[in-house]
Formats: sequence, structure tokens, C-alpha cells
Amino acid sequence: MFGYIVPDKGEMKIKEYELFRAYYCGVCKSMGKSLGPLCRFGLNYDSVFLGLFLSSLNNETVDLKKENCIANPFKKKWVVKNSKSLDFSADINILLTYYKLLDDWKDDRSFLARFAQIIISPGFKKALMRNKEAQQHIKISLEQLQIIEERKCESMDEAADPFGQMIKVILRIGCQEENYKKNKAIEWLGYNIGKWIYIIDAFDDIEKDIKKKNYNPLLFQFKYNNEEVEEFKDRIKEEIKFNLIHTLAQAASAFELLDLKNKNIIENILYLGMEKKTKTVLEGRSCNKDEKPL
Amino acid sequence: MRNPYEVLGVREGASVDEIKRAYKELVRKYHPDQYRNNPLSELAEEKLKEINQAYDYLMKQHEQKNTGYSSQNSSYGKSNSYGSNTTLYSQIRMNIMSGNIQAAEALLNRVTVKDAEWHYLRGLIFMRKGWYNEAVNSISIAVNMDPSNMEYRDALNRIAYANNRYQTYGYDRRYSAGGMDLCTMCQCLICSDCCCECMGGDLIRCI
Repeated sequence: MFGYIVPDKGEMKIKEYELFRAYYCGVCKSMGKSLGPLCRFGLNYDSVFLGLFLSSLNNETVDLKKENCIANPFKKKWVVKNSKSLDFSADINILLTYYKLLDDWKDDRSFLARFAQIIISPGFKKALMRNKEAQQHIKISLEQLQIIEERKCESMDEAADPFGQMIKVILRIGCQEENYKKNKAIEWLGYNIGKWIYIIDAFDDIEKDIKKKNYNPLLFQFKYNNEEVEEFKDRIKEEIKFNLIHTLAQAASAFELLDLKNKNIIENILYLGMEKKTKTVLEGRSCNKDEKPL
Repeated sequence: MRNPYEVLGVREGASVDEIKRAYKELVRKYHPDQYRNNPLSELAEEKLKEINQAYDYLMKQHEQKNTGYSSQNSSYGKSNSYGSNTTLYSQIRMNIMSGNIQAAEALLNRVTVKDAEWHYLRGLIFMRKGWYNEAVNSISIAVNMDPSNMEYRDALNRIAYANNRYQTYGYDRRYSAGGMDLCTMCQCLICSDCCCECMGGDLIRCI
């Protein structure tokens, strides 16, 4: 995924921050252990959220240990260990990263992407064996996405739908409990988060997509007429913001119906972190610049 | 029944005032209006029921007469009286209400004359699917075609209201939003001082 689902660290309590960081390190370690150390470069905030959310939802008793790692060789940090949800999230992350790299290779003939793809492919195969069902759904969604791109769909809602469906299914598979009603709320949360990621990413990519003449639903929906990029962004900003905030509001309304652990951290992400991210992306600061590893 | 204190999110043995405050906040959060045109309306209703039960239980425990809240709740979400509709439209509405979106969509596509209500219903279907941009566009068309219809306007306002609520909740949750900061306090004092001086008095001597 892309790393948009971040907490607002300044608004966290120290203990919440420490736990969030332990989850962050936990996903990273899990990727390293089961998929090979090079896969760890694919670590991002979205998969940390996925792991944290599922672990909280599945009511896991987390196993915390202090460990060293390559990024922090001298100082031991808390790490969440032996969590099924984190392992699942690490696997999903590799599956998605692999497909994204494949896409980059096809679109831009980026050799870097091709190279990275080959490097993580042993990890990809392992993750695939463990998550056949999820992989099937991911594949179907990405195929639908491609069809939409090829026919130059003019509706951002329609274009974002497959991605929303994909996150929805991933959350449902990752939730181990079979509770029909609970699942409905989880699915709605997943669908809306997926849509939010897709649309915010589309906005973030406007400039790049114009340059490279790639498909971007926003260019079609709002009839880009070769104006200046900034002008175009200003023209559509308010409407995009309204939609993104409403998507988050819907996700939050679903979250309110769930009973889970770590409510404060997840609330921070849903209400503060993602809202802030929406504003920073719309105001034009690139996501890569303010995403730092912990 | 779950521990009623837990349901209301207050500590055991909380005072009546605390319980009332928590209850009010929760009713606002899970109010059916927040979940209208949203596939989770049933779940929210259940949650509200649980909250009402917990509240009633605790209030009884405190041996006090119930305040008006629980009596209000019985009316939530049931007042759906629509005017004169063609049978097809009411069928579509039924399908939307029961969450059968595909059937509603199929019926809608059979309608040939696209009037304001058609666009409105199309908007509701989009809402249910989570296609908010399309929903807002469709409902706006309905409002433009029939500006006097309050139902259409309401639907549009509710979408904006949800955004507002989400952002207010986030804002209130921030640590910095809690109290007055020093700067606002100074401003207030200076303003008050000016006002007082205008009227011939003086609040702060040195300014």
C-alpha cells in the first residue's frame, strides 16, 4: 500500500506511542523473519495499521519483547511478537507491494521496480501459499482496476470501488471471529478506508500522471483541460476534500460500532492522523516527505 | 446484559450527572440520523438500544424518575411517511431500506422519465454503495429540479453534517483544544478592559 494511514503522533500519549511503535517494529520483524530480510524495505504505515487493527479486533494478548534491529543496532526497542494478525498483515503487505512493483514495471518500465520485484519474489511466493484466498481477491480487484483504467473511467467513485472492495475483503479475512453483524461494520470500515487511500493517492499523483500521461480518474472526472497543475488542483480541491472527509466520517461511524482493544490509538489514526494527512496532501506537500520511519 | 457502566463508558458508581452526560454524548454519537443511508443503521440501532437499557437500568438503580430521553428514542427511525409515490418508487424505497441495493438499482433503471425523485433515489443508492461524489451530484440534481422538497435538501445537509461532526469530534479530541490558551485569555482580558473603559470603568489599571 502507500503509507497514508498514519497516527498524529503529537496527540498520542507516550504509552500509546510506545505500543504503536512496538506494532511497527513487530510488522517489520515479522516480514524479515518469514519473508526474508530484504522484504523489510516494503514496510509502511498502512500495514502497521492493518496489523494493529486486526490484532485489536481479534483480541490478541500481545507478547512484548525488547530487541535490537538493524535500524537501531544499539538501542533495544519494544517489539510485538507472535501475533497472527501481524504475520497476516506482513504477508498482505508483500502481496500488495509485489503487485505494485509489477504495475510500475508495466507502466513505466522502471528497472528499479523490476529489480525490487525479483528480490522480493521468494517472499511473495511464501506469502501467497499462506493466503490463497486473500491473494485471489487481490488479483480480481486489481484486474478490475486495470479494466477501469483502460476504458478511462470518468467517475472517481467507480474507479475507487475495486480498491475499496479489496481492503474490505482483506479486513474480513483477517478478522478471525465469525460474527455477521460485526463483519458488516468491519467491511464498511474497510471499504471506506480503501476508497480513501485510492482517491488521496490519485490526488497525490496528479502531477506525475499528467507528465507521464498515465490514467488518473480525477483528470477525467474534472475534465482536465491542459491548465496549470496547481490551477487544476485548486479547482478540484474543495470537492475532493469534501469526499475524502465524508469517506473518513463513514469509516469512523463504522469504527464506533466495534468493540476492540487499543481504541485510543485507532481513534487517533482515524480521526486525527488521517484527517491531517488529507489536509497535507491536498495542500500540496508530498506524502513521501513527511513520512519518516520511527 | 453487559455491565451497564461499561456500556456507558463511565466508572462504576458514577454520579447521576456523569451518567447523564455520558448518555447524552452516546445518544448523539449513535443517533439514527448519523447512520441514515448507511448499511450499518441496524447495528447502530442495536447499540442505541443497549445504551438505553443500560441507562434505564442505572437510572432505576439511582431510584430516580427517567428523564425524557428514553421516551424520545422509541420514535427514532420509524417516522418514514412519504407522500404520494408511484408504486415503482415506493418499491425502490423499500429495497433501499432493506439494504437490497441491487434490486433497487435494477428497478430504477426501468424508469424512463427521470424526474427529481428518480435522481434523489439514485443518490440514496449511491450513498449505500459508498459512492459519495456520485451521491452528492445526483441529490443536487434532485434539489435543483424540485427546490421546495425538504426531503432532498435534508439528505444533502446530512452528508455535510456528518463531515462536520467527524471533524468536530477530532478537534475536540486534540489535547490542545481543551482549554483556553494563554493568548486567547490575554485577548479576552484586554477586550474586557477596553469595554470597561468605554463605559467609564477600568478592569486592569495598568493598561
